[in-house]
Amino acid sequence: MVTGYLIRRILQAIVVTFFVTLITLALIHLVPGGPVAALLGQKANGPELAYYNRIYGFNRPFIIQYFKWVWAMMHGNFGYSIKNNISVAAEVGLYLPKTLVLVGLGLVVSLIFGIPLGVYQAVKRYTVGDYALTGVSFLGYATPTFFIGFLLIEWFSLDLHIFPSEAPQGSTVGQILSQPRALVLPVFCYAFVAYALWSRYMRSSVMDNLVQDYVRTARAKGASERRVLWGHVFRNSLITIVTLLGLSIPVLVAGAIFVEVVFNYPGMGLEFFNAATSVDLATLMGFTVITTFATIAGNLLADVAYAVLDPRVRYS
Amino acid sequence: MASLLEITELQTDIRLRTSVVHAVDGISLDISNGETLGIVGESGCGKTMTALSIMNLLPTGGHIVGGSIKLEGKTISNLPDDEMRRIRGNEIGMIFQDPLTSLNPTMTVGKQIAEAVILHREVTKEQAYDRAAEVLDLVGMPKAKERMGEYPHQFSGGMRQRVMIAMALACEPKLLIADEPTTALDVTIQKQILELIDGLRERLGMAVILVTHDLGVIAGRADRVAVMYAGRIAEITDTRTLFVNSRHPYTEALFQALPEKSAETREKLYSIPGLPPDLTNPPPGCRFAPRCRYANDKCRSEEPNLLGETPQHLYRCFYPVGDEERADKSRFAVEQPAPLAADPNVLAAGPQGNGEYLLRVEHLVKDFPVTKGAVLQRRVGSVSAVADVTFYVTAGQTFGVVGESGCGKTTIGRLVVGLEQPTAGSIMFQGRDLSKSHGSEYRRDRRKIQLMFQDSYASLDPRMRAGTILREPLVAQGIGNRQQREARVQEMLDHVGLPRTAVDRYPHEFSGGQRQRLGFARALMLSPQLIVADEPVSALDVSIQAQVLNLMRELQRDLGLTYLFISHDLAVVRYLSSQIGVMYLGKLVEVGPADEVYLRPAHPYTRGLIDSAPVADPSAEKAKEKSGVRGELPSAINPPSGCRFRTRCPLAQEICAEVEPPLVPFSVNGHHAACHFPLEPPIGDAASAAAAAPVQPAAPPEPSWQGPA
Repeated sequence: MVTGYLIRRILQAIVVTFFVTLITLALIHLVPGGPVAALLGQKANGPELAYYNRIYGFNRPFIIQYFKWVWAMMHGNFGYSIKNNISVAAEVGLYLPKTLVLVGLGLVVSLIFGIPLGVYQAVKRYTVGDYALTGVSFLGYATPTFFIGFLLIEWFSLDLHIFPSEAPQGSTVGQILSQPRALVLPVFCYAFVAYALWSRYMRSSVMDNLVQDYVRTARAKGASERRVLWGHVFRNSLITIVTLLGLSIPVLVAGAIFVEVVFNYPGMGLEFFNAATSVDLATLMGFTVITTFATIAGNLLADVAYAVLDPRVRYS
Repeated sequence: MASLLEITELQTDIRLRTSVVHAVDGISLDISNGETLGIVGESGCGKTMTALSIMNLLPTGGHIVGGSIKLEGKTISNLPDDEMRRIRGNEIGMIFQDPLTSLNPTMTVGKQIAEAVILHREVTKEQAYDRAAEVLDLVGMPKAKERMGEYPHQFSGGMRQRVMIAMALACEPKLLIADEPTTALDVTIQKQILELIDGLRERLGMAVILVTHDLGVIAGRADRVAVMYAGRIAEITDTRTLFVNSRHPYTEALFQALPEKSAETREKLYSIPGLPPDLTNPPPGCRFAPRCRYANDKCRSEEPNLLGETPQHLYRCFYPVGDEERADKSRFAVEQPAPLAADPNVLAAGPQGNGEYLLRVEHLVKDFPVTKGAVLQRRVGSVSAVADVTFYVTAGQTFGVVGESGCGKTTIGRLVVGLEQPTAGSIMFQGRDLSKSHGSEYRRDRRKIQLMFQDSYASLDPRMRAGTILREPLVAQGIGNRQQREARVQEMLDHVGLPRTAVDRYPHEFSGGQRQRLGFARALMLSPQLIVADEPVSALDVSIQAQVLNLMRELQRDLGLTYLFISHDLAVVRYLSSQIGVMYLGKLVEVGPADEVYLRPAHPYTRGLIDSAPVADPSAEKAKEKSGVRGELPSAINPPSGCRFRTRCPLAQEICAEVEPPLVPFSVNGHHAACHFPLEPPIGDAASAAAAAPVQPAAPPEPSWQGPA
């Protein structure tokens, strides 16, 4: 049943979270010279290092450090960014909504184009239109995101002056959304890669379903091709897409980092990139853990959607 | 009488990348209202393509290129698709072979049936659902209204086929096309479904086209039969005439290849040599000539027309067999094909070998756990797949295990070859308990028991050449060097009748029958003594099935093999086996010498199985109209108390629910059955026999085992 299934998936998610946090902390300890040396810079001497190691608790056993960290996070304390002079939780509150705007808009745009065009390609398979769209999606697959970003800026901003080259700036979501023209290029850049995924998956999924026996049954009933496609094949094909949507979340998060850096979009990705270059360990750790939560939650949502779409999963 | 459907010189081509398959090549048929026309033939003969041509539902590349199809005088073969849609599902309904894949898995069955109504009638959604519930009830679905909201996977195979029929009949079509409607079902369910179609045909006054490969199905159900071969009609006449006096050599050969015709004599089956022709480039002359035992030069150069003495019996042959005068006599009494049978050595009915038991299965139990729970998968019960089964297999003989799907017969095979571990009981091979042997002894014993699979295509690695496939068992067991292995491969290919050049071919380059030979050769590579054959011929056409059965017989004689032969097909089991065990829901309900079990069954279930299996004899089929097994196999998770068959048994009484019947003897030959109300009187005092009933005669004193060198 659905609830039992959900409980099982949530428990799995907790186990995954445990391992991810453990590995994150271990990685921080592997920074050359240790986390405190990274914080204090190359000129720090022995007594200073020992002093700050004691202050931050890095001299205590690893397992104690781990549980103190997890305990703090469970109380909403994700650490404090000394570089930015702000708590990580506040940083997240500042940047996450803006990234969600980018990812959300990008996903919606990519699905709006990817799914219908994938269906179109499957129905008109091996025609000129299909081959042309296949070419477009291969371009999206093969080209690095940042390169697409540069090309978009070159063409639409520098040459044609249609859209600004920089993403909208501002500290709130409202400010971001108030500059729709500036949003076009980053959202399109982000959506292009995702579009390539959805249209390819949808094309093969619809093609697989069109040759199933149940489609022949529907035709034998006298159903029109349109009815066969939208009444029977579409839902069965979406099942595959939803599974892949859940599995693609890490790729989508990674894509957001590239887009934000190229367009200077004030989101989590750009901040994560800055933290990585300036060795802001607290921000890196906090963001990694939160991204993990988001990925796991996304997978969970995809599984629930899957159960809604496919009655065979629901009842077994 | 005016025809309902009239097909004239229909030609259907399938265009492939580089060639054109002439799948249907000049077929003329007509069907009257209320009539059942059978179309019978082997795979690739064009019978399904004919059916799909009528519906204009041909696969990609398929086109009607000639001739016409008329429904009530109106040509429908050239209608544009939107007009054809008004005929599909409305005037012509169609049901398909596999009821699971033929239903949309994500749509409730109610909606799927109602869709057919909505498409063709001016009705509201509620009216369509009401009509759907009505037809679902009509096709014998219990609690039809409640089950409307369920999905296809929640139904059993038989019930799914009922849903398919309901969908096809929702708009009361004038013609129902049933394409292999029961091939994927058990015989007991097959009989129920065929009866349902027959009953509905009478009630609704519709015509039925029954497409099948099974002559038995045709015999009991069709008014007229068209035998198809290589895209053409070889012979067409009324059912009775066809079965009594077939005139085309192909029809004759099909009958002679049926195992039930030789079941009692155990004669070699007639197998049609070669394969059906490639329809991209059909042979000149008679299409059957290359495989026909009567063909001469005229047959090979000139094609005969579809002619006959009367317009009611047409056949495409210059030298027809049978006799027009003899239409009344039974062909099987008169015409025993003397030149074909004649191999006195192939009589496998009598005991061969030394009469000792090679395999002794005692009190075998296999339970599969059923788990439940959100987090911790706690065990809530078990599927009782095999429950206390005891039988003995004599060396050099064949023990046949027969039963419906889900009865545990495949599990027994897997237990014997060691793919599963028994929950309890013992499997003694040559006097050693297989479940207790370990290490090198275990490996040595395993060599002597090999498995032969049903689906020869799926069980052969598609990326391995035949030579590698055959060598693999030797490599795995570390036997011989390169040359010796090579020699062994060649020897085995000779044994199973494959050319030596086959070593370089991949599995897809063989035909179905050849692949099954290859699978057989692989099983024989390690010189086993026991072959567990799990449905080895179920996927094959009847003429190819005959070839494989003959081969199994010959090799049993030549190599002294013992078979544990598992099949759902009683006729095949009876033909090949000296002993038969009938299984029902994990229990062995009857066991004994093949003919005794078949001719004098003591258990009502065995009787029901025999009556359900279609026989290629119209009068026999008519005679057993009211028999068979009702209902469906209950769940093995909570099997019925007492006798497990009682829920479907016409003779069941209170005691059957309370006391499990023991196996009691019915003859001195080891015929045993477990029933409180047997159809035959048991021998001796039932009570004392029940106390100590060994299955089959008591085991001989511990034999001294000397395996072949």
